Parts: sequence; C-alpha cells; structure tokens
Amino acid sequence: MKVIKTDNITYRYPDGTKALNNVNFSATNGKIVMLMGPNGAGKSTLFLHFNGILRPTSGSLEIDGTPVSYERKDLVKLRQKVGIVFQNPDDQLFAPTVREDVAFGPSNIDLPEEEVKSRVKEALKRVDMEGFEERPPHYLSGGQKKRVAIAGILAMCPKIMVLDEPTSGLDPKGAFQIMRLLCKLNREGITIIIATHDVDIVPIYAHEVYVISEGEILKKGTPKEVFEDKELIRKANLRLPHIAHLFERLQDEDQISFGKSYPLTISEAKKRIVEKTRDNKKFN
Amino acid sequence: MKDNMFENTLDIYAHSNNLKDMNAYFKVLFAIVTMLISLISTSPVIPFIIAFFMSFLILFKAKIPWKFYLKFLAVPFSFALLTFVFMAIFFGVGTHVLELGIFNLAVTADGFNLGLLVFARIMGGFTCLAFLALTTPMTELFSILEIFKIPKIVLEIAMLMYRYIFVFLDEALNMYHAQETRLGYSSLKKSFKSLGMLGSNLFIIAWIKGEQAYTAMESRCYNGSIKTLKEPESLRNIGSLNLTLLVLFEVILSIGIYFTGNFRIF
Repeated sequence: MKVIKTDNITYRYPDGTKALNNVNFSATNGKIVMLMGPNGAGKSTLFLHFNGILRPTSGSLEIDGTPVSYERKDLVKLRQKVGIVFQNPDDQLFAPTVREDVAFGPSNIDLPEEEVKSRVKEALKRVDMEGFEERPPHYLSGGQKKRVAIAGILAMCPKIMVLDEPTSGLDPKGAFQIMRLLCKLNREGITIIIATHDVDIVPIYAHEVYVISEGEILKKGTPKEVFEDKELIRKANLRLPHIAHLFERLQDEDQISFGKSYPLTISEAKKRIVEKTRDNKKFN
Repeated sequence: MKDNMFENTLDIYAHSNNLKDMNAYFKVLFAIVTMLISLISTSPVIPFIIAFFMSFLILFKAKIPWKFYLKFLAVPFSFALLTFVFMAIFFGVGTHVLELGIFNLAVTADGFNLGLLVFARIMGGFTCLAFLALTTPMTELFSILEIFKIPKIVLEIAMLMYRYIFVFLDEALNMYHAQETRLGYSSLKKSFKSLGMLGSNLFIIAWIKGEQAYTAMESRCYNGSIKTLKEPESLRNIGSLNLTLLVLFEVILSIGIYFTGNFRIF
C-alpha cells in the first residue's frame, strides 16, 4: 500500500521559478524510501508538501489513501501522521529545555497532560536520550540535537517520518547512530523517507530510491536498478558509491570483472571478492 | 559539554554551579526578599552586609570563580561608584566636610550620606540578583515565573529569546571569525566596515532562521501558543527547614534595619 502518493505535482515559487515539475513520488508502507539528489534539486520543497506546509501549484497528493485537505483541523491530523525532521536541528529545537521541546508537538494536539508526559518519556527513551530532559539544546552535540529533534516528532506518534539530510554535519559515529535509530524505527512500523546526497548510505539502507534533479524525478527503483544507470547518476551531479566506483575502475582499466553489476555495499563486494578468489584457487 | 564557545558565559555557570540543585523557588524567594530589604534600608549598613553575604554565598557556596564574579560585578560597581561621587558633590546642602578646591565644589554631609546609601543599595540589590543569575538556570526561572503568574505571551517570547540568543551568538561568532580570517579587522576603518556588514547580515540571517523555525513549529501543529508542561508540585515545596532559615534570616535583617536605621558616617 502506498502511504504517500503524489500525482504530477508542480510547484512554482511566488516569483514564478519552477521548484518541482510534474513530480510523481510514492512511498510504500513500512519501507525506507530515499530521495537522492544534489543541493537545490527540490528535495526539501517536495517534503514540505507532505504535511501541507506548501500547496502544489498544480497536481495533487494522497497521504495514507486520502487526498490532502487544507482545512485547519485536517492539517492538524495530517501533521500528526507525517512528521518532518528538518535538516538543521537548531531550526527545530526552539524550547529552552529538551523536555519542553519534545512536549511541544503532543501538547499542540491537546492531549491530556499525563499522556504528554508519558509520550515525552517514551520518545526520549526510543532515541536513547533519557536523562537529558532539563538540558538546554545549545549544550548538546550535533548528533544529540538531531536525536532530540527526532524525539520531538516521535512524540506525536507519526505513521510516516520524513527526514531532510539526517546525517549531514554529523561525525561518522553520530551519523551511524542516527541511521541505526532510523532502521530501528522502521522495523517498529514507521515509514521512513529520507532526502540525501550521501550516495554511500543509500544502498545500505534504502528499499526504494528516487533520483531527483532540478525539480524532476529522473528515476525510481531499487538501489541496484538506480545505480545501474551510471550516466544518469552522474548527470544528476551525483556519483556511484565509492565501492562501486572501485569495481568500475577495476573492470574498465584493469579488465578484472567481478560480475555484471557492480557491488554497492562493502559486504556485497566482500562476497564477490571471496567468491572470485575461491574460483581462481580451484583452477590453480 | 561540547560547545566551548559558551564556556565563559553566565549561562554555563548557572547550569554548573554548586547550588544548582537547590530548590529554585527557594532561591528566587531568598534573592527577591533580601533585595527588597536592601532597598528599604535607610542606612548603608544592612545593604553592605547583604552584599558581603551574597558574595560569600556566590564565591564559597556556589563556587563561582572569583575572577568571573569580579568581572561580572565590575560594571554595576563602577556605575554605583559614579553615582556615589556625583551625589556626594552635587546633592545636598549644609556643612562642607571636604573642600575640593576647584570651582568651589565641596562634599556635603547629607550628600555624602545619601550617595553612600544609594551606593550600598545598588550593591546590595545587585548582588542579590547576581546570586539568582549565577545559581539558577534560566530554564528553571521560567517555571517560577509561571508560578508568579507572569503573562504567558511575555514568557513565550522570553523562552524563544533565551533559546535563540545562543543560535544567534553562534552565527555571529562564525561570521566574525570568517571576516577576521580575511583580515576584516586589520584597521579601524576596515573594522567599522566589517562590523556594519556583520550587523546587516545577521539581521537577514535572523529573519531567515525565524522563518525556518516557524515552518518547523508549524509542522508540529503550532497554533500560536506554546503550551508548557505543569511543573511538579515538588517545585513549590521549599521544605520546612529552608523556610524557617529564610524567615529567620530576613527577620534578623529587618531587625538590623531597625537598629542601624539612623546610622550616619557624618
């Protein structure tokens, strides 16, 4: 089932420039969907359509099977269902303490106080930030801020979580922790949609991939299908994952082939290399 | 704590001093009542005692480094001293206690007394506020202000301001370093120009950040008011021992005012 489905969305900025052009994007329930594109491709603009912040100039979108309505009370419901985690956590964390920030969302949907408190506790536990309740956000590290921002969305119990560049600006460990957390949330049933230009993480985590460039979707499919089209990837100012690039060069420059398609992840590459060396040994 | 750039700010001390875990309500009551007593005193004796006592608490109980505390105190102290000097010279009539020898200026007795009283009150009052500012995190003060029925809108603005001061500071510092890297402050003229650019750019950045924050808040169903969680009852519970000590301390100060009320140096 598709939880998000856009039908030829076009969005023009007030000055007339097209930010999105006939975008058809859909996300399957319970999957991790990655939207891959360079800076300024329209990823963030598309995301702001998912919870009704922006309204398409033309085209329509369905969330969870129902067309989006822009009535005030329907928007409140929509925004509970679709949570957006913004790229810069400093834009999102506005409250003086972690606890009050996480409580902001659930308080706005008029839950009873006790429910809000238990949701805050639960959300902070899920992102592994218990014990930071009274801290002001400016004394947290980048990764911690990001996790609090995610907790703020989790506290609203969304069905779909949309994240704009969740690993940008984080150190490798922080980035890994965020991705691991997102996988955990996905296993718990939340559909995760991620915008990124970090091509190396795409084949590791994504179930479905979209390539967007200059406001248009160029390709969709599994990571394998998408990265097969090298020309398209490069035309979109992206690149192959490093590991695939290595295998491409081995094949093109040294005529050493490890199979038709390039492996996209380290573990896949390892498997191919092991297989190949075993075969060679047999012949020797 | 990662961001070392905030190392020497008031906020970091408020969050890491030795009296941080004391009941915030108690600290606020203590500071405010003591400040009022310092203000109603008619002689400089009690305010001075308060100033010393508060400084003692700040330095030896809260363990704020004295260097930071002295710097913190320097501004109000110089202001108070200036007030004292001017009042001593220009206020009051009557017997001259000290001739200055120029322009026929002289220090009068009641001018001197009044100046000293004002000086003492400023220092007494300020040290009370310093005690509050240096030992109580802003975040706790917000909940106290709520108990004191400060209007919600004021509180909301204060909360947003508190949070975004640090984002602003961060942004300003980064920009300043970027300018310095390109020798933007190598001469007085360039400094003026760079600072002007910094200011105007910060204004634009603040505007953009404000818009982004609003979008993020809207995504979480913001409807124009920030609902805060009610504080646990324990916040109001000062404890009977503390309460007794507080009342006793203030009563002693009041009695002190009664007995020293007519104290004059001249």
